Amino acid sequence: MQSPLVITGMGMISPLGCGVKAGWERLLAGRSGLSSITRFDTGDLPIKVAGSVPDLADDPEAGLDPDRVVDAKERRKMELFSLYAMAAAEEALAQADWFPTSDADRLATATIVGSGIGGFPTITQAQTTLTTRGHRRLSPFTVPAFLANLAAGNVSIRHGFRGPLGCPVTACAAGIQAIGDGMRLIRSGEAEVALVGGAEACIDPLSLASFHAMKALSTEQDDPTRASRPFDQARNGFVMGEGAGLLVIETLAHAEARGATPLAVLSGYGTSADAHHITAGPEDGSGAAAAIRAALKMAGLSPGAIDHINAHATSTPVGDRAEIAALRNAFGEALAGIPISATKSATGHLLGAAGGVESLFSALSVMHDRLPPTLNLENVDDDLQDLDIVSGSAREHATRHVLCNGFGFGGVNAALIVSKL
Amino acid sequence: MPRRRVVVTGLGLVTPVGNSVKESWDNIVAGKSGIAPIEHFDVSGFNTRFGGSVKDFDVSPYMNPKDARKMDLFIQYGIAAGAQAIEDAGIECNEANAHRIGVAIGSGIGGLPMIEHNHNALNKGGARRISPFFVPGSIINMISGNLAIQHGFQGPNIAITTACTTGTHNIGYGARTIAYGDADVMICGGAEMATTPLGLGGFSAARALSTRNDDPQAASRPWDRDRDGFVLSDGAGVLVLEDYEHAKARGATIYAEVAGFGMSDDAYHMTAPPEDGRGAAAAMRNAILDAGIDASRIDYINAHGTSTPAGDLAESRAVEQVMGEAAKSVAVSSTKSMIGHLLGAAGAVEAVFSILAIRDQVAPPTINLDNPQEGCVLNYVPQSAQEKRIEVALSNSFGFGGTNGSLVFTRV
Repeated sequence: MQSPLVITGMGMISPLGCGVKAGWERLLAGRSGLSSITRFDTGDLPIKVAGSVPDLADDPEAGLDPDRVVDAKERRKMELFSLYAMAAAEEALAQADWFPTSDADRLATATIVGSGIGGFPTITQAQTTLTTRGHRRLSPFTVPAFLANLAAGNVSIRHGFRGPLGCPVTACAAGIQAIGDGMRLIRSGEAEVALVGGAEACIDPLSLASFHAMKALSTEQDDPTRASRPFDQARNGFVMGEGAGLLVIETLAHAEARGATPLAVLSGYGTSADAHHITAGPEDGSGAAAAIRAALKMAGLSPGAIDHINAHATSTPVGDRAEIAALRNAFGEALAGIPISATKSATGHLLGAAGGVESLFSALSVMHDRLPPTLNLENVDDDLQDLDIVSGSAREHATRHVLCNGFGFGGVNAALIVSKL
Repeated sequence: MPRRRVVVTGLGLVTPVGNSVKESWDNIVAGKSGIAPIEHFDVSGFNTRFGGSVKDFDVSPYMNPKDARKMDLFIQYGIAAGAQAIEDAGIECNEANAHRIGVAIGSGIGGLPMIEHNHNALNKGGARRISPFFVPGSIINMISGNLAIQHGFQGPNIAITTACTTGTHNIGYGARTIAYGDADVMICGGAEMATTPLGLGGFSAARALSTRNDDPQAASRPWDRDRDGFVLSDGAGVLVLEDYEHAKARGATIYAEVAGFGMSDDAYHMTAPPEDGRGAAAAMRNAILDAGIDASRIDYINAHGTSTPAGDLAESRAVEQVMGEAAKSVAVSSTKSMIGHLLGAAGAVEAVFSILAIRDQVAPPTINLDNPQEGCVLNYVPQSAQEKRIEVALSNSFGFGGTNGSLVFTRV
């Protein structure tokens, strides 16, 4: 019998604030992390709302203090998504108490941090520099700042982790796939501990305009907190969020041997492709269902054993419907009895970091037997009336196994099952 | 966990020296350079004005040119190399096996040309000038996505991005996916097309590129004392990996076995390796350990060898550390001397060359190696190819962020 894979550390930076505790408490309290964009002038842009990570001025309690993460000089060499990853890593590693000093332990530590986009603002700012002032004015840190694998790279440099390093860039499935990759690295013996998850920070005029060009974003302008409304009839697109969610994972035997406290079990993972269309899933949800089935198989669970689903649910009209089709495909009749939450209603869509943050929410649900609410769910879609979508306020619910989904453009699907110890 | 054997049954290439495996490999063995002045945008005023562009690329055999226009070039190159590899392997996708075939093809940078174009459009004409095809036409996982859609592959679909180690990591990931039973066939590799004003300007600002504008074909000169940086290049490499029993059962032609894969991180500096090459050595050791062979059995190493002052020396030292006495007899060459550095495609293209070195029993050359730098003491196969017994080949890739990967291929 293999020793189960467990989470021993958690770190989170999200629109709900910095730190797992603040993020989880605010999520349960039904607070929204969405607001009007103030980081740049949105004058001519059709999109005015995003889920920005608050700074200390906005949020003295849980705003990000970048000086506590990386000093100002080093920050000039890195993008925000790297900064968020470094902040989340500090928190996760401190909880896991994993600061290896021996060569052997450092070589046995993997760093897998996915990102959907990488350092997009650096690219657009560099392009402005290039077109207005010429290439000689480009910073030498342009390339290492924008490369998507530099969140993982910067974290590994800071902590001296010399084992496998990776960065899946599978759009909005990247965070879950990073966790799956880390699980495999431990199972294959290539690593004993892995820091896994996702980081994203691409709230930028061009990224907003380009997702808008696909009609993927909510155009709500007046009331930011109402913009993300998964499964609601009035939903009209996702809200771009940013942040990072990272987990320290290892086998239970490894955790116990070094006296670390296991928090939850990663019991199943599965991934698949729709092989259908670049931005839309098949109507029967068969692709995503295949990933969910693979995760259930690894966990050795029947569909009915799942107590809660943290849905991918981004608040787009087509995507939410397709996910429910996939869930019906995988769970059949059992689905009606499983409470479903869409936490993107509070955080917006963190793209490549979504899976990291939502797997943490899933772990917190099994640890505390609490399910977060889905905000803004006023009129549920007609064909979802039979489902139990957690809305209004958080719910107490005995929770042993949670399914967490992540789906991305290109038809990539990933599913993770987090279980109680 | 029991592991299945993984073999290579299909190859595809789009490189600066040819748009097929045969053309590219013939030119590599002949020591021909594909480096030339950049002509697809105005490079006047740039410190570096040459690169390894793909020449005379025709997408029409691989997909509808109208659809191709909605995709950035790196995706087109990846789809082309993928289609070649799939055809070479003779893989037929049907309802029964679709969920057992997956794709893992990455890119180091992704759709830079479209990002630049749309950024300029946004600044000039506002948000309404952005194309709805911009996002799916430029994000990195769309080679994997589009190949799956074209061919119906419903197995694991991923795109790993680790700068210049991307190709190697995707192949290693694909091999693991088969070895542990999550798929029977994986289409793996990398693609890149970042030779744009911002790509060239960005790497130039990082002082990473050769500035030998008066003689581009002599610019990429790994281990030579006059090397001054790498040459930015474009292209794609894709391999079809397959469960050995699956390949044997359908009578597929087997090029080689993916015997070992290893990874490591320098944990040292964003863009520079430690001088002793310990991170590179750890990746090689992990791959050799994974292959279950003795390091002395390696006959050929396709080095990362980008032609940068620090990187080449560190890698050479790492080979000495890992192979010990046997380092004296191993052939180590850098095919980047001919094609430049394809970034996220490099590891995949070089894996193909390593496999062909086994097939044809020939080590491709390192051209432009006129005067090896002091401390560079290995057989770098200078100037011309060497016929040689090659049973085991190792291919290295190292990337910004300190990420390292090595693959070991063996003759079946």
